[in-house]
Amino acid sequence: MRIGVFICHCGSNIAGTVDVKKVAEEAKRFPHVVYSTDYMYTCSEPGQLEIQEAIKKEKLDGVVVASCSPRMHENTFRRTVEKAGLNRYMFEMANIREHVSWVGVDKEANTKKAIDLVRMAVAKVTLNQPLFPKSFKVNKNVLVIGGGVAGMQAALDCADGGLKVILVEKNPSIGGKMAKLDKTFPTIDCSICILGPKMVDVGQHENIKLYTYSEIEEISGYVGNYEVKIRKKATYVDWTKCTGCGLCMEKCPSKKAFDPFNEGIAPTTAINIPFPQAIPKKAKIDPNYCRQFIKGKCGVCAKICPVQAIDYEMQDEIVTEKVGAIIVATGYSLFDHTKIKEYGAGKYLDVITSIQYERLLNASGPTSGHILRPSDNKEPKTIVFVACVGSRDKSLGVPYCSNFCCMYIAKQAILTKDHIPDSQSYVFYMDIRAPGKGYEEFVRRAQEEYGVKYIRGRVSRIFKRGDKMVVRGSDTLLGTQVELEADLVVLATGAIAEEGARELAEKLRISYDPYGFYIESHPKLRPVETNTAGVFLAGACQGPKDIPASVGQGSAAASKVLSLFSKDLLESDPQIAHVNEMLCVDCKKCIQTCPYGAIEEKKTPMGKIVASVIETVCQGCGLCTATCPPGAIQLQQFTDNQLLAEVKAFFHA
Amino acid sequence: MAEEKKEAKIVGFLCNWCSYGGADTAGVSRFKQPTDLRIIRVPCSGRVDPLFVVKALESGADGVLVSGCHPRDCHYSEGNFYARRRLEVLKRFLPFMGIDPNRFEYTWVSASEGQRWQQVVTKFTEQIHNLGPAPKREEKSDR
Amino acid sequence: MTDREEKISELIKNELNNVDFFIAYGRGYDPIHVKPLFVYEEKDLDDLVMNIFCVHNNASYLKTVKDKKVGIVVKGCDSRAVVQLIQEGLINRDNLRIIGIPCTGVISIKKLKEKMDISRVTEAKVESDSVIIKTSDEEKRFEKDDLLADKCLWCQYPTPVIYDHLVGETIEPSRPKELEYKIVEEMEKEDLNVRFEYWNKELSRCIRCYACRNVCPMCVCQDQCVMESRNPHWISLKSNITEKVMIQLIHAIHLAGRCVSCGECERVCPMDIPIFKIKQKMNQIVEELFDYKAGIDLEATPPLYTFQVEEAKIKEREW
Repeated sequence: MRIGVFICHCGSNIAGTVDVKKVAEEAKRFPHVVYSTDYMYTCSEPGQLEIQEAIKKEKLDGVVVASCSPRMHENTFRRTVEKAGLNRYMFEMANIREHVSWVGVDKEANTKKAIDLVRMAVAKVTLNQPLFPKSFKVNKNVLVIGGGVAGMQAALDCADGGLKVILVEKNPSIGGKMAKLDKTFPTIDCSICILGPKMVDVGQHENIKLYTYSEIEEISGYVGNYEVKIRKKATYVDWTKCTGCGLCMEKCPSKKAFDPFNEGIAPTTAINIPFPQAIPKKAKIDPNYCRQFIKGKCGVCAKICPVQAIDYEMQDEIVTEKVGAIIVATGYSLFDHTKIKEYGAGKYLDVITSIQYERLLNASGPTSGHILRPSDNKEPKTIVFVACVGSRDKSLGVPYCSNFCCMYIAKQAILTKDHIPDSQSYVFYMDIRAPGKGYEEFVRRAQEEYGVKYIRGRVSRIFKRGDKMVVRGSDTLLGTQVELEADLVVLATGAIAEEGARELAEKLRISYDPYGFYIESHPKLRPVETNTAGVFLAGACQGPKDIPASVGQGSAAASKVLSLFSKDLLESDPQIAHVNEMLCVDCKKCIQTCPYGAIEEKKTPMGKIVASVIETVCQGCGLCTATCPPGAIQLQQFTDNQLLAEVKAFFHA
Repeated sequence: MAEEKKEAKIVGFLCNWCSYGGADTAGVSRFKQPTDLRIIRVPCSGRVDPLFVVKALESGADGVLVSGCHPRDCHYSEGNFYARRRLEVLKRFLPFMGIDPNRFEYTWVSASEGQRWQQVVTKFTEQIHNLGPAPKREEKSDR
Repeated sequence: MTDREEKISELIKNELNNVDFFIAYGRGYDPIHVKPLFVYEEKDLDDLVMNIFCVHNNASYLKTVKDKKVGIVVKGCDSRAVVQLIQEGLINRDNLRIIGIPCTGVISIKKLKEKMDISRVTEAKVESDSVIIKTSDEEKRFEKDDLLADKCLWCQYPTPVIYDHLVGETIEPSRPKELEYKIVEEMEKEDLNVRFEYWNKELSRCIRCYACRNVCPMCVCQDQCVMESRNPHWISLKSNITEKVMIQLIHAIHLAGRCVSCGECERVCPMDIPIFKIKQKMNQIVEELFDYKAGIDLEATPPLYTFQVEEAKIKEREW
């Protein structure tokens, strides 16, 4: 073979702690290497041209680039060699940046390590084989998981682009967190007024099939061909009949049911429509509170329903949908402040969360938009907001910033003044984070026009004194202790991963960070892709973000799906398992262990039964190769011989 | 460097999706590590036939490390579950053949755990240095 | 012919129409050497024997006759290999006729050889707990237990676990199970470096004849075995110690969770290398970790070809 080796300086990123000249010099002595050089930035255009010229001039049939991680630039260089006429798989990378120059301090040791890694890559590429992708048909339906604003935007953009969309929402209505908000920062737009029409669009769009009160049960398949099992949870109301008239809610005798939409600050009826703008506007029964379920008798709603939609015997139903791509927009959840003893652990009625406060502010909320504190329904005059409750706090396991709390605190303080002109708001904060467009100005307005008093410091304790809540904290700017008597305390609870996010990630085979937020393909350059082909992210499931960012990501994910589906055929990755029929002894171990069911038995023309890989189903994990006793099934590009060659190249240097 | 230590021969088999990514994250974060380890990228820890570990040890490795996605978080959904069984069996088996089981470790590091990767490499390298070079096999011709 | 041999003959005679041939035990060149007997027709039965010298695991032949209809005579230990092969889908139960022989142990020729010159044995017989061996010059009497193969001393399956016909009464296991891993435990009393040198010394004798592999009932790869393959090229054909060790490690790893402890690998080793120990260690690990013994349950899956999401006995690596 004729192999060319290209050592990248990456400016000083590599060359600073690796003697790249020496690595290039050493590489000349490796078997099959006919050309070796170093270059300032191999990934730059001239750098790539140099590779292409060398391929032609030196008649190279294998290329090794020693530079950054293959997770970064493997595809870049594969295209480079392909343009010069080489098969793109006749290429290997040695990672001498992330794994060498950036982590080792001793230049001599780094250089030695880089030489070893290049030797190993050369040994491997010697055994590479040209591989050719196969084409397969794409199912052009898309699944959107989560009907919050990000998921709705993604669904609408896909549907407008002509794709059939399956939108699955676990709550009875779409709308997500945004539907609960009163106003949005920094424009003080009425949240439901701007969201409502979008919800209607989703509900009425001919290309969108809506499954609310439904959850993902199981996902199988691969990009272009996913099969999704969806659990439609029992609502005990036949939604094909229900008109959303609301008569059942009026007559329901069980009026103490927990109201998740109002965050529990007021009860609702056991049969209910979550909120007036709900899409779909259908009733459902909460069996935890319904007398028919608890006591076995009642039946009022069934009697009163004008269309006989009530069905107490209803069971969960599993439906199957086939899609080609998946957008995950499952949003976030809020930190449970009852974990914080110092703040009363939830025992004080007048210590509420910001999202509960949104419901108090909201005209369609339980107080019809009058701010009345829960303990005695009196209008509070002194309101204290506490920032970073369950954010930026290592001791609580949430070291990250929740992104949008600073802004909604300013908004809520402004609204408070609007609602109760003689009120005074205080904000305990750590830092004010307002980097968005118009955000800093907005916070300034809260302080300057609305007289909101910002106190830089943490709150150490909240306790009750008479009918007041005492907030004790520090003012780090003045260096003093502060004690405020408040009528109402609002805790800005931080964003945490949505409940069940990890389980869903496992079903989707995507990665999540230690906090349960999903990991994107590249933090800078592939922000809505995941490492699983055909699965995209939108909104706060990837990390806390505000409405415009979520909407932006929803559109971004949709555009990714639209471009993926712009072709009728997709190319399958040829780095898949391949059976050497001569060696296969039909022991069936690969068939038994393959996670994808991608291996079946077949009869050769000679009449021998052997394993056979279904090429579009194989995902290239190589479990079969590690399982096969005679080594008959080999994962191409990661064959036993290739990995053994790497091992040998290191130990028999 | 204050003390000149001879490098140990350590090879690591890392799954592409989690641990190789974790090692990249460690690099991007400039988490300094000992330089002894050479990483071989594999798609999945399930790809790691225990025989690779054995082969590396028999080829003169002072230490072998396998690292994959955390259980339940495998990119291929099940690969690391198989790896866990096979590698655990191997780890328990090696000492019977006279090979120090501390020369082989398998662990789980996700793509976001750069710091954890740094700790794993540092700790494992230290462990191998403490064990010293692996004994060499010699033919005994007393037959 | 003994009563038992008569019965076996009779059964085979009746079954011959249902199968292509029967694998039983036949008279060898002297009274203590028995050979596998392939019965195609009635007259082949003249040579049939069934005694304490029937050491072979006849199931070792099954891997070579995958699609044939075969009858087989098995002892308890042999029957586990049959179960394991069926369980893994490597042979078809419907193609098999199985005559099970309850067994109280077979003689280790190696042990006997250590105690006397066995080149001219004229007669061998068992009298209750004694074995009497006659040559032209002498007659020796041994305690049976002193001559039994190691595996018989801890046998928990004296009665076959699978059969169509059972010849004789079911025998309850009477041997102490604690002895099962005694050979392993004794080895483990030694330090790591002593073990390391022990295997270097023992395995240095290996002549790479592959008899251990060829006789193994579970080694179904036969000619495709990676021990000799260039593609994949796990080991070279060099006859050095690392390759010899690799051979045993490959065998052990490929057998993990599948080995039925028949001990044939060690019995056939022409260099008397104690390789059964290696298999037993692996079996012990598998039993500890997965509560699993190969070749017992037709419906089970070898533990390394399946998994549990939460493993009861594998601690997650702390670091």
